[in-house]
Amino acid sequence: MSILKLENISYHYDRSKVMVLDKLNMDFDEGKIYTIVGKSGAGKTTLLSVLSSLAAPTDGKIFLNDKDITKIDRYKFRSKYVGVIFQSFNLLTHLTALENVILSMDISGKKFDRPKKEIALELLRKVGLDEEEAKRRVLKLSGGQQQRVAIARALSYDPDIILADEPTGNLDGETQDEIIGIFRMLAEEGKCVIIVTHSPDVAKASDITYELKKPDKAS
Amino acid sequence: MYILKNALKSITRNKLRNFLIGIIVLIISISACVSLSIREAAEAAKEDTLSDLQVTGTISFNRQKAMEEMKKSSSSSSSSKSSSSSTKTDRSKFDFDVLQGSSLSLSDYKKYAKALKSGDSYYYSGAVSLNATGKILPYGTSEDDDDSSSSSSSSKSNSNSGNMQPPGDNNNNNSNTQNNQGGMGHQPFQVNQGDFSITGYSSYKAMLSMFGDDGSYKITKGKMFDETSDALECIISNELATYNSLKVGDTIKLANPNYEKETYKLKIVGIYKNSDSSSEENNRFQMNDPANNIYMNYNAFTKIIKASAKANHKMTDSDGNKTSAKLTENLAFTYTFKSVDNYNSFAKKVYKLGLSDDYTVNSNDLQQYENSLLPLQTLSQTAIWFFIIVLAVGGVILITLNIFNLRERKYEVGVLTAIGMKKAKVALQFVTEIFIVTFIALIIGTSVGAAVSVPVTNTLLANQIQSSQSTGNNVKENFGFKNDDSNTPPDNNGGPMGDMFGQSKAQNYVDSVNSATNLFVVMELVLVGLFLTIIASLAALISIMRYEPLKILSNRS
Repeated sequence: MSILKLENISYHYDRSKVMVLDKLNMDFDEGKIYTIVGKSGAGKTTLLSVLSSLAAPTDGKIFLNDKDITKIDRYKFRSKYVGVIFQSFNLLTHLTALENVILSMDISGKKFDRPKKEIALELLRKVGLDEEEAKRRVLKLSGGQQQRVAIARALSYDPDIILADEPTGNLDGETQDEIIGIFRMLAEEGKCVIIVTHSPDVAKASDITYELKKPDKAS
Repeated sequence: MYILKNALKSITRNKLRNFLIGIIVLIISISACVSLSIREAAEAAKEDTLSDLQVTGTISFNRQKAMEEMKKSSSSSSSSKSSSSSTKTDRSKFDFDVLQGSSLSLSDYKKYAKALKSGDSYYYSGAVSLNATGKILPYGTSEDDDDSSSSSSSSKSNSNSGNMQPPGDNNNNNSNTQNNQGGMGHQPFQVNQGDFSITGYSSYKAMLSMFGDDGSYKITKGKMFDETSDALECIISNELATYNSLKVGDTIKLANPNYEKETYKLKIVGIYKNSDSSSEENNRFQMNDPANNIYMNYNAFTKIIKASAKANHKMTDSDGNKTSAKLTENLAFTYTFKSVDNYNSFAKKVYKLGLSDDYTVNSNDLQQYENSLLPLQTLSQTAIWFFIIVLAVGGVILITLNIFNLRERKYEVGVLTAIGMKKAKVALQFVTEIFIVTFIALIIGTSVGAAVSVPVTNTLLANQIQSSQSTGNNVKENFGFKNDDSNTPPDNNGGPMGDMFGQSKAQNYVDSVNSATNLFVVMELVLVGLFLTIIASLAALISIMRYEPLKILSNRS
């Protein structure tokens, strides 16, 4: 059973009749890394926003564990079931790395068996940030470190699905490998990792690759 | 819980901005506290004074109205026959009408007393002038008094009807005299002044109302006249007693100034002393030297009047006409009211009992009460306007600040909603921030405001009173009195004429407040705080609610 299933997903912007996504069908399973590739304008970002429930599809259905996600509150879906790693990280820069992670744990409303701070520090250590770095303001961290904070934040409330938008776009080759290593580790832990990218390296490292093509002109 | 935590963190993070908001709220809350306290103090002063207020009212003839009506009718009638004699006739007819119209009889007054409510009551006094006869001499006649008003009034030359100023109101505020019997320029007739003014009071209360309750009048020898008896007993001043070597138990003989052979014997039962020189000053203007005032009860007094009417002697006036020489009492009738409401109801009801429209019901103490509160009320109104303006301006500034604030924080809203924080919760956090800042500032502001409100109110009130008084002085200057309060002791200020305009002894203004900020004000300030929070949050709420989390994806900076 796939954890996330897209059924005939279509999307077009409000006033435009141009279909950005046209009747997409995709399956995502636990424990695997998926990459979604495609040229600019193929609808990668749109698909990501639909997957993360930032946008609702114009047509079609998305199932989370066979449950229609339109029946789930969009905010609840984002805060509990899916961890999104944005391309521009979208961290709160005036907070410390640790505070960013704890904040998303707070927002999820989940109960944790250990103190949040302990979990957050452990996660940050796991993605390669020591305690000193964890207590630094995000603004004073490098791009790679910020990326790690974003990953740690996405993992903090233990979602089943990790969504990443160009996670290696701003990083050098070495860091990129490390990040992919983290994703691989997460997949091995049983998460479903979905990466939107145009990097062939990342695509190569994934288990399954979906290629988006520009849909035909609106019918 | 984390919302509160975030809010507190956010406040400490944006110290400068929140400090700015706090300062604005602080200014608003201090002004609001002072303004509301002033209003509260004004209300309190109003109620305090009102609860102590003994409302008295009189019915008086509206001369101005009568004159206007008379002019109308006389001009229309004299247009056809334009001879000077007809004009003269009209004039005297007018004078007669005015006089007739202005005097209500005791039974009239008592009839109108039916409009009183329970707890209300009335008293009255009659006054008449009598001349010295036999051994007794009026006090001050041998002295060459250079006070013009005193000397002219004590001369016997002008004799007419035995009319004189009623004494009933001269303890009250003078500023309103034009509505009443007293006052310069409202004496259509030559007032005849005998040597003595005899006043009969319906009760001790009536006397009290005239003398005031400051204890300046005191019986030094003998006793007070009997309140109910109709024996011709009186009390005289100690000056008069000393001057004529009179003592308690002696009898004095007084004559009708219009008909010297008509005499009355009064037995002295008491001698009083008036220690208040200023009220003497007042009285000198109104009648003879106050030492020549003789008091008795109304029952006895009315016996003299009746006897004079019965005798009905005739005299010849300056035109050679024969007129009655009988004594005419001058009646002062005062209604007392338990409350202002009772007074107002009386003022309406009395017309239903047949009082003509030519009469007005008025109350000096109510007028005085209103006047005394005038500076505080004006200040209170100004304060409320000030409060409204400060609130409006402050509100606008807060809104503007928060709009700018929100532009900066749009990213934060985007991130929070993107990671699944509900908009309502984001909004709640923002409102909580503003609320905390506002209420901290409000608490400080209220404390400061409460501390300064009393001195500030009193200072502003002093200025207000000063400006009211300078307006009053202008009025005085308009009547040709020099405005030199600084050099002249108040008693001599402008002489008795100054008193008439009610200025030399300044209007008794409510000139200080004790406590201004009370629980009610604090509650109002809490409302102000809530109002400011809502106003300031409004922009934040609207823009958060309209924010689309999807936008965060287009934020790639």
